[in-house]
Order: sequence, then structure tokens, then C-alpha cells
Amino acid sequence: MPKLTIDQREVEVPPGTTILEAARKLHIEIPTLCHREGVAPSTSCLVCMVKISGVNRLVPSCATMAVDGMKIESETEEVHQVRRSALELLLSDHLGDCLAPCYIACPARMDIPLMLRQIAAEDLGAAVATVKNDIALPAVLGRICPAPCEKACRRRPADGAVAICRLKRFVADVDLAGADPYLPECRSDSGRRVAIVGAGPTGLAATYYLRRQGHACTIFDENQQPGGRLRRETTEDQLPRQVLDAEIEQILRLGVELCLDIRVDGKEASDDLQNEFDAILIACGRSAADQAEAWGLDLSSRGIAVEKASYQTGMRRVFAAGGAIRASGLVVRSVADGKEAAVSIDQLLRGQPVTGPKQPFNTKIGRLEAEELLQLTAAAGESPLRDPADGPDAGYAWGEAIEQAARCLHCDCRKLESCKLRKYAALYGADPRRYPAPRRAFHLDRQHAEIIYEPGKCIACGLCVEIAAVASEPLGLTFIGRGFDVRVGVPLDGSLRDALAKVAAECVEACPTAALSRGENTSKEAALREPAV
Amino acid sequence: MSELDLSFVDQAVEQWGRRPEAVIPILQAIQTHYRYLPREALRRVCERTDITPAVITGVSTFYTQFRHRPVGRHMISVCHGTACHVKGAGLVQDALERHLRLDGGEDTDAKGLFTIEKVACLGCCTLAPVVQIDGVTYGHVTPGMVGDVLDDFLHHQKQGPPKHHDARAVPTGEVGEIRVGLGSCCVANGSGKVHHAIWETLTEAGAPAVVKRVGCVGMCHQTPLVELVAPNGSSKLFAKVTAEDVPGIVLKHFKPKGMARRVGYSISRWLNRMLTDETGDPTVRRGIDVRDGPVCAFLGKQQHLATEACGQIDPTDLDEYLRHGGFESLRRCIEELSPEAMIEEVRASGLRGRGGAGFPTGVKWAKVRAAAGDKKYIICNGDEGDPGAFMDRMLLESFPYRIIEGLAIAARAVGADEGVFYIRAEYPLAVKRIAEALAVCEDRGLLGQNVMGSEFGLRLSIMEGAGAFVCGEETALLASIEGRRGMPRLRPPYPAEQGLWGKPTSVNNVETYALVPWIFRHGAEAFARLGTEKSKGTKVFALAGKIRRGGLIEVPMGITIGQIVEDIGGGIAGDKRFKAVQVGGPSGGCVPAEMADTRVDYEALAEVGAIMGSGGLVVLDESDCMVDIARYFLRFTQDQSCGKCTFCRIGTRRMLDILDRICTGEGKSGDLEQLERLAHEIKAGSICGLGGTAPNPVLSTLHYFREEYEAHLQGRCPAGKCAALIDYRVTDDCIGCTLCAQHCPAEAIRITPYVKHTIDLDKCTRCDTCRQVCPTQAILVE
Repeated sequence: MPKLTIDQREVEVPPGTTILEAARKLHIEIPTLCHREGVAPSTSCLVCMVKISGVNRLVPSCATMAVDGMKIESETEEVHQVRRSALELLLSDHLGDCLAPCYIACPARMDIPLMLRQIAAEDLGAAVATVKNDIALPAVLGRICPAPCEKACRRRPADGAVAICRLKRFVADVDLAGADPYLPECRSDSGRRVAIVGAGPTGLAATYYLRRQGHACTIFDENQQPGGRLRRETTEDQLPRQVLDAEIEQILRLGVELCLDIRVDGKEASDDLQNEFDAILIACGRSAADQAEAWGLDLSSRGIAVEKASYQTGMRRVFAAGGAIRASGLVVRSVADGKEAAVSIDQLLRGQPVTGPKQPFNTKIGRLEAEELLQLTAAAGESPLRDPADGPDAGYAWGEAIEQAARCLHCDCRKLESCKLRKYAALYGADPRRYPAPRRAFHLDRQHAEIIYEPGKCIACGLCVEIAAVASEPLGLTFIGRGFDVRVGVPLDGSLRDALAKVAAECVEACPTAALSRGENTSKEAALREPAV
Repeated sequence: MSELDLSFVDQAVEQWGRRPEAVIPILQAIQTHYRYLPREALRRVCERTDITPAVITGVSTFYTQFRHRPVGRHMISVCHGTACHVKGAGLVQDALERHLRLDGGEDTDAKGLFTIEKVACLGCCTLAPVVQIDGVTYGHVTPGMVGDVLDDFLHHQKQGPPKHHDARAVPTGEVGEIRVGLGSCCVANGSGKVHHAIWETLTEAGAPAVVKRVGCVGMCHQTPLVELVAPNGSSKLFAKVTAEDVPGIVLKHFKPKGMARRVGYSISRWLNRMLTDETGDPTVRRGIDVRDGPVCAFLGKQQHLATEACGQIDPTDLDEYLRHGGFESLRRCIEELSPEAMIEEVRASGLRGRGGAGFPTGVKWAKVRAAAGDKKYIICNGDEGDPGAFMDRMLLESFPYRIIEGLAIAARAVGADEGVFYIRAEYPLAVKRIAEALAVCEDRGLLGQNVMGSEFGLRLSIMEGAGAFVCGEETALLASIEGRRGMPRLRPPYPAEQGLWGKPTSVNNVETYALVPWIFRHGAEAFARLGTEKSKGTKVFALAGKIRRGGLIEVPMGITIGQIVEDIGGGIAGDKRFKAVQVGGPSGGCVPAEMADTRVDYEALAEVGAIMGSGGLVVLDESDCMVDIARYFLRFTQDQSCGKCTFCRIGTRRMLDILDRICTGEGKSGDLEQLERLAHEIKAGSICGLGGTAPNPVLSTLHYFREEYEAHLQGRCPAGKCAALIDYRVTDDCIGCTLCAQHCPAEAIRITPYVKHTIDLDKCTRCDTCRQVCPTQAILVE
């Protein structure tokens, strides 16, 4: 039996074992895209490269047999760099939005398409959870947010953006009006205490997420009521106080000490806070700058100086966010700041490196041409964009909301969590914009009742071609053309419906990207978000 | 759509069979018949055979030979080989497209008369730039000429094909021999007409000589070449002979018997001249002698092993080959040597594969011999695809029996009883000659069940390639023979263990086989005496580019690049400075002028960043832009990538993106570093030779000519080649002759007689026509 070492660890394998299989025996995860158990290796993707020491050769581990005495390097920077390059090259010719444009445009990074699909599927409970996962004050924002998400909506140039903001308000309003409004689960008490200076949108949002992590929170505010600029800068018409109060109350119900009518002023107050608390978040808006010197903090042109990604000030345990650090007036930006600062504070309190929230990996299509957009709109709900029947300032009724939510084009990836290309791109820190290049044409093939084919996302691994051939599909799939322009397609201008009559589901499952995915009509579950692998 | 008669499809199926591996020959037959592949015909094939729709679509879209749309009545093939590229093929292509008014993407003119296609290399490098219309070749085409070329073609089209001339009573008594080179490039340059004229003259005048077609002489710069051999054996060479020169040359040397006949001839000839208004006697200055300096230099340093008896024997005449020692080696191998002894002989000779990588041939044969299994195959790799290389074509055309003999020896050595010639479809003459030679050999017992009456049996067949450079890679070639897309696979296992149909297979290059009979006739030692320590024997090169005397040469290993360029090639044509030699085509690199003492040796060339490759040598002068050259080769390999692995499929395209940016003045800092990094990763990460060597031309030029890349980043093309970075300007030397304005295809120059002309740079397409026609060199590129 051949004995070899992988990253200096010895392993013995039966003859005919590949390096990839040998590595798996050692629980070394070598990434693969085009590999599939039971299918002859095609050595197409080349992200499974390993290095044979000594002979100094890089080989695809999926198709290279383990030989006695072989010394393999897998987890070295050199090998990782080659894998990263393979991923970056694939990404440079992979056309798709991982995340929907609305999601990217929303400063709070709420999973808008998921919420819309949940509304359309009449699952309000799930929709509330989705919203509240990323936005602490949705009923408030649903009324006063200028909705950058809707400006990015792909449907906007066609027949108007999806009414995202109103639908979010609908979800939050229905929830608040219920007998038992949504409360997130909080982790058990961490024993750590955080002082939040300012009970405006930033401070409230931070509190909401810090409580979820099990940290004790104390909010200090100089006013008589919490809400900060939400109360100052809006009228009752814009934001009914009853809605504001109700939503703040939901946050306070998580168990928060609220100290009103207290101004944290001068060095002494600051020192006291530092002695008393494990971390401090300065979220008292623009006035914070006046105190910076007394608190011993540096200033930037916009406010208190912080690390951009982590909101950490020059003092390790002091963070600042919202109006205290920036000039932007968007409430949703403040809410997002509060959430992100809470992540950093949580990292500090858990003794982890303070890096701020991890950015989700994403690739973007950019602008779509009118005829390309037609392919996206073809299968979405046909209703026009409509104001609520009760007038533009009112909320949607149930039926209206479902109809409006169904207008979503599902721009986000259908295999966001199971796409292996995305998974490994994120893992290896691949930059999808390393090789800027003209993009492919966008195309969406819905000829098949069960599956959707997006050739732009295909990385030409050939698994579906092979699976169809092995299953003796009468028509099957084939590579068309050669070289850079090679595409997987249906032979002799046939339709996908006839091409994959037997093994459509298997092909979807095997496809390492979302080039092949399940269509909307297969099941309600699929319409939401497929499970992660 | 009108009903298409599909009965031909059924015939093709009958001829080639119903098995999946028949797909390529069937598609070739269909395309020859319908001139493209009609969808209905493909469906019919699937109905009548075991070929699936997936396979027929995959295969027919993989190979560039296959067309899926109807084409115009005539096919214009613009050669984009290396030599053509450096001599302006791109400008010729642009000019043709303008002339036919083809807008972006269109390939057929509105009248459906002409379809234009780019071809990788027609192998007529010494005539560059070359355009072929329905098999008629036009050499030295300039952008200004394209209208005349098309007119000329249509004019001759009306006149019909030239007369056929085969039967002629052979004169008796003491006769001389007139040899005419009829290799593809000679024919392209008019040797067919010359051959015809000689035949006519001899017949009409009754001169005591026979005319004989011989293979390539290698002196492509002198074609058409005619050699007169007197009965006593003395000979005289005539270069650049035209049909009009023939009577003068022939009759001067071979006087017709009988005065009357001569007079009769002279009178008719004289009358003819009066009518056609021909003047002068150009034959005098075209006579050359082997002792002449240039010819001597061209031939002197050469040594003919693979091309033994070049220019002397008729390629199609087996008896003549036998008289020159043909098939002696095979006989010796069959009658005297065991396969092991044969392999030992080849190993001792030091012969290494001439396809490029230089793997020891004896070692490969030994592996195949030792591999388990009683069914083994032998393959001749004649899928020569490097732009700028045409050695294999010449060898196949000129020495078909020699290659067959080499193949038969190899088959016996490795234990194969079946073999395939895989030859590019772009080489119709080579295919024809081999096919004819195979038939003759079978007829004469040199192939078949019992070769030379022995127990050794060998069946050889021909498979025509379908236009895929990557099929020169052995595993891709095997896939192609098996009727699949020509995609290389990871080695090991090597074909020696698992080759054609999974059986042990020896794949060798044409030139390798051509050397084998020589080795067995003269002995391994004689071969090993030639060359360097690790590179033995000779190497055939196609010498082209900015050289005075281009052609096909066979030189001993160890000769320096400088000797080839200066002594054999006669140095740079014109008064330009020698800059570099590109060796090894798209897998190779440049040897700069300063390193001209680099020896022709596998290791020595690899050391300087080039490779031996299959044998293209393109000489570059100071007017060649090295970034453009690198981009040219990369575009070629990128275009020829099979598309399987990431690094080659996408990586080479991204490198090309960067080079395109650099050549159009849009390069930015960091581009060169990214280019280099990507190049190294593609080399390391590709699974076949195409991807693994594709970055070489870029790395090599980056290494030796980095300052040129940097100049481009600053918006300058020092060689004045990159259209986006140069402008044309008229100097005060302009005499207002209006020639430039008359020839400008873009109407960028207004006609202003006797006044200095000016060029409208917005309209100017940088086609260089004005500079070429200007009689006073008053047009500058800057």
C-alpha cells in the first residue's frame, strides 16, 4: 500500500487512491469544483491543485494517483495562491449577482429578497425574523427611510422598483400589532457590561444586537425620552410616536438599563464609565465631537476618528458610531452603524481580534441591458407597482403585500449557500475583480419546468454533460465551441426540457455554481432559500 | 427553408460506418458536399448512426474546419501565420474587409460571392503575406493590392482550369532531366504553370529531356525553382522561373533534334511573341549555380538526413526511392534485427522527438514495447499547427515513402500492427501523397499482412485533422482519432501505457520518423556524431521573416542561431537591424540578436527561454514590435485553447486582455507584474503542453525587451507597429505626386497635386499603404 505524506502528515492508502482521497483521509480539505464521486475526473477547474515536493510540480489532486513515498504540499501559501488564482480566473468569467443589488444598497444589509419571498409565500413569522435579524427598528425605517434599496432594484427601470420599504413596514406593523411581537433569542449572560452613550437609532440598534449576544447594556441619554434624532427630526405625521415608542419598547424588553436625563460630560464622566464598564459605545450624534478632547479621543474631519471597519477609537475599549463619526444623515446608516459596532464590541468582549463584521463574498453583474432585463422580469409577478389602497401614506393590506412582494425578480443567487465557487472564493479570499474584463451576456433559460439554467454562471466543469451522457439522456448536454468561448448547451438547437428528461435534479445538485438551479415552482421551500451544504 | 437532398448523408454513412469514431470523417464528407454542415444533415447522421446529438454538436463546434452557416461562392483564406503577421497580414485582412464592405462580425459579402476567413498558417511563409482563394494562392499581398487580387481571381475563374498534361512519349537515347519543385509553396508561387510550360515546350519542340516533379528543395526564396540535369549528370539551377522563361531555358540546354523542327518552333514562338508583346530574356540573370556564393551559403551549412536527396527524387515514385536506398533499413530490421536491437540502435543514436519536447525516441519505444497487451498502435503526428512551421508538410509531401518506412520500423520495434497518420486537413497535398504512397506500398508488399514476405504485418490508415492546433498534443490527437473533441487529458498515464482505445501507443512526429531510416542505414554512431552532447543529428527548420533567403533548411544540431541567420539566410533583408529570432512559435520564445551564438540544442535553447519546438524560425528586425509579437502568439494559443482547464481557458485570455490594453496605450502600472504572475501560474497550473507553454512568448519578450513594454505603458511603440500608438505624417520631402492619396483606402488624404499632402488622422486606419507607395519616402510613422 502506498504511503505518502501530505503537509508532513503520513497516510497509507490502497493502490489507485488519488491524492485528493488521501487528503480527505487526513481531514485536509482540498477545494474542488469539477470533481464528483463516481464521475471520471475532468481536471477542469484546477482549484484542487497540490504541489509534489521535490519534483516541484503542481498537479490536480483529483486525478493524480498517490504514489509510495510522495511528498505533497497542500496548505502552503504557494499552493493557496495558485488555488486563489484559479478561483479569481473563474470569477472573472462568472456572471451573476451573489447578493441582490437591493441587499448591497441597503446600509443595514438586510436580506431583502428573502423577506420578499417569505411575504409572497405568506410566511410572516419568517419574514419578521429576516427583517429583525438585520434591522432593529423596521417599523420606524419603514416610514422614514429614503430606501436606497429601491433605487438599486433591478425592476426599477422596467416598471418600477419593488416596494421594499413599504413591505418591510408591513411586516413590522403586522408584527407590532400582534399579541406577541417578535423578540429575538438572546444568548445567556456573558457577564460583560457595555455602556451606550446615546439612545438614538445608533445606540438603540447597538443595544439590540449586544443584548442578543448576552452582554449587559446600559444606555445613557441626556433627554427625557429615548429616540434621539428620531424624535427631534421627524414629525408625528412622518413617524407616529406610538410606532416609535412601541418599537423602542421591543428593544428595551430585552432587558436594558436606560438612564435618561444624564449627560456624559467631561473627562471625569468618561473615566467613570471606563472604570465601570467593559466597553463603551459613543452614539450620541454630532455633539460627541465637542467632548472628544475631554474624553481623550482623536478627531477626524467628520467626527470622532475610528477604524473604518471596526468602529474602534484610539482607545481599545471605546467605540463610536453613527452621527458621532460621520456626516451622513440617513437613519438607516445609523442603525447599520449600531449593528456593526455591536459586532466589534462583541469581538472585543470575547477576546477575539476586533475586525468588525465580515463582509459577505459577492460578485456583481452590474447594469443589465433592456433585453437582458426582460428575461428576468419574464417569470416574476406581473402586477404593477401600486400604492396601498388606503392612500400613499398608509400601509399595505395582506393581499396587496403578497402581490407586491411577488414582483421581486429573485436577482440574488439561487444557490447562495451551496455554491462551491462562492464558498471557496470566500475561504481563499479571492478577489472577483482581480481581472477586470468585459462581461458575458446575461441569459436565463426557463425552458425546463423544474430547473433554471444561467449559462453566465457556468464554469464549464462538464459535470452535467457527463451525468447526462452516463444516464443516456436521448438528447443530453454538450460543450459547444472551444476555448474561452466554450459553453454548455443543448445539442442541435434542442430545448433544455428535452435535454434533461431524466437527470435534471442530479445535475442541479452536481453543478458547483448556480448555473443549474431548481426553479421556483418545484416547491415552496425552494422558493425561499435552499439549505447550505 | 427549401428541402435539402440528404441522400449524400446516407452515402457518407455507408462509406465511413456507423460507429461513433466515424464522426469526423463523416462531418468532413458532409462539409465537402454541402460546403457547410446543414442542421438537417447532422440530425440525419444521428438517426443513421450510433453518433449522438451531443457528440455531433460537441465535435462539430470544436474543430474550426467545420462551418455551421452557408458560405459565399468563393472562400478567401487570409493567412495569419507568424511570417505573414510580421509582414502585415492584419492590414491585408482589414483591406479585404473594407473592400468587401464587411461590417463588424460579417464574414460574407452582400452578394454572397466571397467569404473571408482567417487561417492559422498556410505554410507558405516565404511568400508572406499570403491570401488563398479557393486553393489559388497569392503571395506578397499588400493592402493596396487586394482589389486586383480579387479581380485577377475572378478573371481566371472565367477562363477555367489549365489543361491537363500527363501522357507524353518519353524520348529515347541520351536524355536530360528537368526537375521542377512541386511542394505546396512552389506551386503557390507558380511552379505548376512552369511545369506545364516545360512539358509543352518539350512536347512541341521534341527536346531530348524528361520533366520530373520533385519535392521541396527548401530554397523557397527562389521559387519556382527549375534544375536542369544533363545526361552526364552536371546540373544547373534556375531560380524564380516564370512560364514565359521556360522555352528559352529549355531550348538553350536541350536542343531539339532536327533543324526543321527547331526552326518551326522558333517561328511559331516568334509569332507568338509578336502577338503577346513579350520582351526581354530574363533567363540570363536568373540562372544560378550551386557554386554561386549565396546558393553555396544557403546549402553549404546544411546536412540532409530527413530531407536526403531533396530536389532529386520524385516524391511519388517508389522505385526511385528504392534506388536511393529506400526500404533497405526496414529490410535490415525485419531480417537481421530483433525489436530490442532496433530500439537499442535508436537509443544509441541519441534521437529525440522532433515534435518539440525532445523526449528520447528509443526510451519511448522501449516503454511501448514493454507495456502489457498484445494490441499496440503506432501514430504519426502530422498535425503540424505552429504558425510559421511547415517542415512536416514538406516532409510528407516530398518523402512519403521515407516516412512510411520510418513508421514501419517503429511499428516493428514497439510491436504494433496498426497505425494512423494524423495529418492536418489544411495539407491536402500531403494527405494525397501519403494516401497514394500507402496504396503503392500495400500493392508492393511493403505494408499489409506480411511485410516483405515476413510474419510482420502492418496496416496504416490516414486520419485528417479538422482544424485544431491542440490536436498536436498527443492525448488530444488520440481523442480526435477516437472521434471526440480534441481535449488533452492529464498524463500519466502516458499513451505508451494507455493510448489509442486504451492500448499502448507510440506517438511520434513526422520528422522523427523521417530520420529513422537514415539511422538504420548509416548506423547510430554516424547519427550521434552529428550535433551536441545531448542533441544529436539534424533539425529541419522553416526559416522565414525578415530574412534575405528564407526556406526550409536541415542543419546539424549545434549550429548557432547566428550562423543560420547570417550564413544560410543571408542576413536581414533591406537595411534594417537584426533584432531577434523567434524560435518554437507559440510555445517558444525569442533569442535576441546579442545572443545569436546560442546553439541549436534542446537544452541550450530552453536555457535562453526559447524551445526547439517543431522548427519555426522567424527572423525579426528593428521594425518588429516585441509586444505585438508576444500578443500575436498569445492570441493564437488563446484561440486554440481547448477550453478545458481554468488557467489556459481563462488565464490566457486575461493575459491577452492585458496585452491588448498595453498595445492600445491603455496599459497601467502593475500590468507587467500581473502579466508575469499570471504567466507563471498558467505555466505551473496547466495540464497539457499548450497551456503550459502558452506564456513563453510573453515571458521571453518581457525578459529581453522589457523596455519596449514599458514604452508602451508610456504611450509609445518604439517599433512604430501598434496602430493605436502611432500616427502617420507627411514630411516636406513630399512632391505632391498624389500617389498616396490615390491609394489611400480610407480617403484620409485629399488629392492636392504639386502641393504637400496631409493625412487626416481621424480617418487614417494606419494601413501603411501611403508609406509603401510614396516614391520619396516622405511619409513618416511616429
